[in-house]
Amino acid sequence: MGKVKIKKKETRIDMTAMSDVTVLLLTFFMLTSTFLQKEPVTVITPPSVSEEKVPDQNLLSVLVSPEGKVFLAVTGSKDSTFKSETVRADLLKKMAAEYNQAHPSAPVNLNKKEVETFSKMPAFGVPFKYIQPWLQLAAKDMTLADKVLEGEEPLSVGGQKVKLTGIPIDMNEDPNKPNEFQMWVRAAYNNDNEELKNAMVKGKGIAIKADQTTPYSVVNVVMDNLQTMKMNKFSLMTALKTEEE
Amino acid sequence: MAKKDKSRQKKFDTRIDFTPMVDMNMLLITFFMLCTTMIKSQTLQISLPSNEKVEKEQQNKVKQSEAVTIIIDGKVDDKGLSKPDEGMLYYFDGMPPTGEELKNLTVANPMKQIEFGNKTGGAYPAVREILRERNKAVVEKIEALKKDWKEMKFDPNSEEKNDSIYQVKAKAIRNDSTLKRPVVIIKATPNASYAHVVSVLDEMQINNISRYQIDRINQVDSAMMILLQGKDVGK
Repeated sequence: MGKVKIKKKETRIDMTAMSDVTVLLLTFFMLTSTFLQKEPVTVITPPSVSEEKVPDQNLLSVLVSPEGKVFLAVTGSKDSTFKSETVRADLLKKMAAEYNQAHPSAPVNLNKKEVETFSKMPAFGVPFKYIQPWLQLAAKDMTLADKVLEGEEPLSVGGQKVKLTGIPIDMNEDPNKPNEFQMWVRAAYNNDNEELKNAMVKGKGIAIKADQTTPYSVVNVVMDNLQTMKMNKFSLMTALKTEEE
Repeated sequence: MAKKDKSRQKKFDTRIDFTPMVDMNMLLITFFMLCTTMIKSQTLQISLPSNEKVEKEQQNKVKQSEAVTIIIDGKVDDKGLSKPDEGMLYYFDGMPPTGEELKNLTVANPMKQIEFGNKTGGAYPAVREILRERNKAVVEKIEALKKDWKEMKFDPNSEEKNDSIYQVKAKAIRNDSTLKRPVVIIKATPNASYAHVVSVLDEMQINNISRYQIDRINQVDSAMMILLQGKDVGK
């Protein structure tokens, strides 16, 4: 009769709505994300008001560490036959040909497997005479190869231990006797991928990425090297600055 | 009774517990959030003069009244890194002194120096004021244009059209040879940091300067800098 019915409360919460939200968020992140590229040195680029975005394809970026080490990274096109892997493999072959022409006494002959390993490397920067042992190491132990690239660990070449310091570069104003950096840039320019070449001519295909604390003398060497090769147009990578006026 | 029990079908709970699903999704979201870069880097386009000699001669024909030379100097710490927030700026108008002028440098040094960073509490680098004053004609016109653009005067219906008309007009003003426009020559000492150089290049955009070039520092420049510093110390 007068019994007070206590309603049984459901302790379980309906998670469907929550799940909907999380799936939506997940989709958003998956679609908008571009993964962080692994780079041998972390650089903080200086701020600028420029609003032009870095192209995400057909780009040769020159990474300059504050100590003056130079690394290169190449990306190919997104939707043509020249994917990054193809472009890198071709770059290495052209570079090897050019290097062997300049150093006929100590040629570097790379096999197919080494070229394949190279095509998977996002960034590189070893003196060319050490590229073979470095690629062999990379095929076996990727993390150690990264450390060698950064200069944290020495690379053992024929029993000797060598500490690597990026791509050899010096002040060179003779385009007929290019240094290794210039050889790489030229190899990229002569790449089978025409789009990369066009982008480089326009100046959008070469980007210098340097840390804000890098002394200008270091960046100047890179700029001068490009200038010697008649590549007068290029871009500098910067971070967004909000202008307070 | 027993019969009744048999016929009663067990009622299944149709609701599925979504908690593990949510857990997993959250984990994935965290992963994506940590691994992505949302902000893409920007680029600053620059073009350097070519190394060929013919062009170098042409460059030197810059009108004397229009040239401004800016020299950036920085400080290097014991690790060999430049300090982006410390620096000095040297500048002078016109062509670098030659011949007789060079001998009188101790008496009449056209170079002035200024602290790079925030000038007397202002939030912008000191170089802006120098450049703005020299590019006054262009800056004023652009500002008037910007006002029109904000009020959508070029095309009240389409934001896109309004924008593109503004861009074309602004470009025409920047390259208008009837206005007095400076030619800025940017030089940097080896101690200057990369951030300094980029921020000065940035000022070119902010102040709508269309003609500028990056050059190497030469002996006359360093002589003037040394003289200027010496004078300061003497005081």
